[in-house]
Amino acid sequence: MPAIFPSEEWLKGLEAKLNSDERYRDIAQKWEGDLFFIIEPDGNLKERLTFYLDLWHGACRRVEYNPKPESHPAPTFILSATYKNITAILTGSLNPMTAMMTSKLRINGSLGYMMRNVPTVLDFVRVAQSVTTEIL
Amino acid sequence: MQPILKVNLTTGQSEEYQIPKQWEKDFLGGASLAARILYSSLTRELNPLSADAPLLFLTGPMTGTSGPTTGRFVICGKGPATGLWAESNIGGHWGPELRAAGYDGMWITGKAEEPIYLWLNRGRLEVRSAAHLWGMNTYVAQDKVKEEIAEKSARVCVIGQAGEKQVLFASIMCDHGRMAGRTGMGAVMGAKNLKAIAVRGENEIPVFDLAKYKSLRSESNRRLRDDNEAKVLRDVGTGGAANYAEYLGAMPAKYYSQGSFPAVDEVSGARMTETILVGRSACQGCVIACGRVVKLPKDVMKRKGPEHETMVGFGANLLNDNLESIVDMGELCDRYGMDTISASNTIGLAFRLFDKGIITEKDAGGVDLKWGDVDAIEQLVRLTGSREGIGDLLAQGSKRFAAHFGVEEEAVQVNGLEVAYHDPRGVSGMALSYATSPRGACHNQSDYFSVDWGHTNDQLGIEFYSRHAQAEKAANVARHQDWRTVDNAIVMCIFANVEPQEKVDLINASCGLDWSVEDMMKFGERSWNLKRAINNRMGLNAQNDKLPEALLTPFPDGGSEGFVPDLEGMLSAYYDTRGWDWETGKPSREKLVELGLEEVAGDLWG
Repeated sequence: MPAIFPSEEWLKGLEAKLNSDERYRDIAQKWEGDLFFIIEPDGNLKERLTFYLDLWHGACRRVEYNPKPESHPAPTFILSATYKNITAILTGSLNPMTAMMTSKLRINGSLGYMMRNVPTVLDFVRVAQSVTTEIL
Repeated sequence: MQPILKVNLTTGQSEEYQIPKQWEKDFLGGASLAARILYSSLTRELNPLSADAPLLFLTGPMTGTSGPTTGRFVICGKGPATGLWAESNIGGHWGPELRAAGYDGMWITGKAEEPIYLWLNRGRLEVRSAAHLWGMNTYVAQDKVKEEIAEKSARVCVIGQAGEKQVLFASIMCDHGRMAGRTGMGAVMGAKNLKAIAVRGENEIPVFDLAKYKSLRSESNRRLRDDNEAKVLRDVGTGGAANYAEYLGAMPAKYYSQGSFPAVDEVSGARMTETILVGRSACQGCVIACGRVVKLPKDVMKRKGPEHETMVGFGANLLNDNLESIVDMGELCDRYGMDTISASNTIGLAFRLFDKGIITEKDAGGVDLKWGDVDAIEQLVRLTGSREGIGDLLAQGSKRFAAHFGVEEEAVQVNGLEVAYHDPRGVSGMALSYATSPRGACHNQSDYFSVDWGHTNDQLGIEFYSRHAQAEKAANVARHQDWRTVDNAIVMCIFANVEPQEKVDLINASCGLDWSVEDMMKFGERSWNLKRAINNRMGLNAQNDKLPEALLTPFPDGGSEGFVPDLEGMLSAYYDTRGWDWETGKPSREKLVELGLEEVAGDLWG
């Protein structure tokens, strides 16, 4: 269900879409790993915000809105970016590969695994863009 | 700057060459300064394999200073396969050692009567016989030289049998597996009967404002350690992007005739990391450490693992999904001293012509050139390195090999240099990179594929265009070429994401300059045009800016199926951007004057 980013409703909508999108399910068949997003405040985002997504073999098993980092001490990937850059990715004005290659999206975890699974990463972004109708 | 040691091998005499002060400022170092120094001696008539041909080893102003990825140097001259400007960039530790020995470069001329090697020991030069080293491979020869001079800490540049036999894509190696691969500088060295150059130095390397430089260097290296691309390179090496390149249809397979290679998972940097990687190696002062150290089940010792070009060249290019065999082929090329891109490309051509019935098993000396056959590949590598049988033809590169069989159009090369493994049908900017590079089909004069993947630069205005965009990206390509020309001058590895302002600050602190980012980019443009002018003087014109047929034929499959770059449209926009003359292919007089190259303008235009 389309929703305003960032919100818990948006994250739930993303979870639902990831679990119903056939293309994503096919492309992400081999993906194994949970993501912990850290969005640093700027612009309309006044405080740091976090998302957690547990992605496994083309499905999204669980999401959490604004969890504390200590509740997920060892995620497969920690991804961090400013609010401006995250929203630029979601609206399509910043290419996700550009964000990765210029470190506008910072990544902690196996970059090798990420590069091996670029199609999955790009399709994850496509799905996230599709559920984003409005930015705060 | 420190002087260059000029050595005449015919007479055995040496002298110090002082770099003119104005050239230090206008051309800085590395490939740019080399181009200025060699400008007048690189003529159309010059035989690159003659005693008259120069061979210039030149460092950059930051070489050996532990700046970000600045342990590098260049080797320049006239390319024996291309007849054009030649530059080859190499890492390892030899360049820093040379500077510590009191010289910023070595300029070799003449030809020794018998095989010799040079030993530059803390500023003192000795000429020694290499008769007993002739015929040794590069790994053994390096060890032997070190043993003879009794100096374990010395660094040795060396050629293998391929250089001795003047294979036109022979490399120069140092630190065992570090290679100046492209443009055949090993053949030029071999033609001079020069087997090796050993250096040892203990001097402090001069830096204009050391305190400031140290502070900038620390910050830059700290940032680089944490950079996403640097992490990829450290984790999985340069082959880490193999899956992505294949997904895009930018990794050519089966000698540039297929746009997909389903076995890519078996021959990628990630696979190497998961299976045979046991360590990483780095050039002097580098915090990335993209070098691979591997151990195969059959191995007793650890050894060098392949980088991206070698993996694709001996993998997808030959439909070979056996990673261990690629480790072997890479090492074999290293030991013979041959560029892995040109070697694998030319071997791929042989397979293709065999497939088409243009060459026979008899032509191939009884070798059945079946795609993916590891034994056949190995035999051709050995025959090429030793110039035996069909190897004597392969040793002349793809252009001459194809011409021998009357099918020059089949060779995937530009101006005599074999195309690297970033296909312009998948990343269109590479069409201009290959067609206009000053040294033939080169991916290091502008690795524009990375921009087409998404690696933009806000400070430089290098923007993102679709990977299949055409003429609209021409100005972007030119700017990227200028940017990489700076890297090849200072000499910094193109894998280092050092931001423009950061880079210019490092240049200013190390050289005592007061440049802005635009000054730096103007310098890059000046050098690019100087190299173009050198080539124009050696006979290059607009007709040379072309691509081989294979790259203008759509892939039948893969992520770029059906697409070909519109080279003519791209070139037209590129020439406009560059201020080059469409009829002659020369930079216009106005452009040369604008760049401060009045003397060159006079030479080109009268």
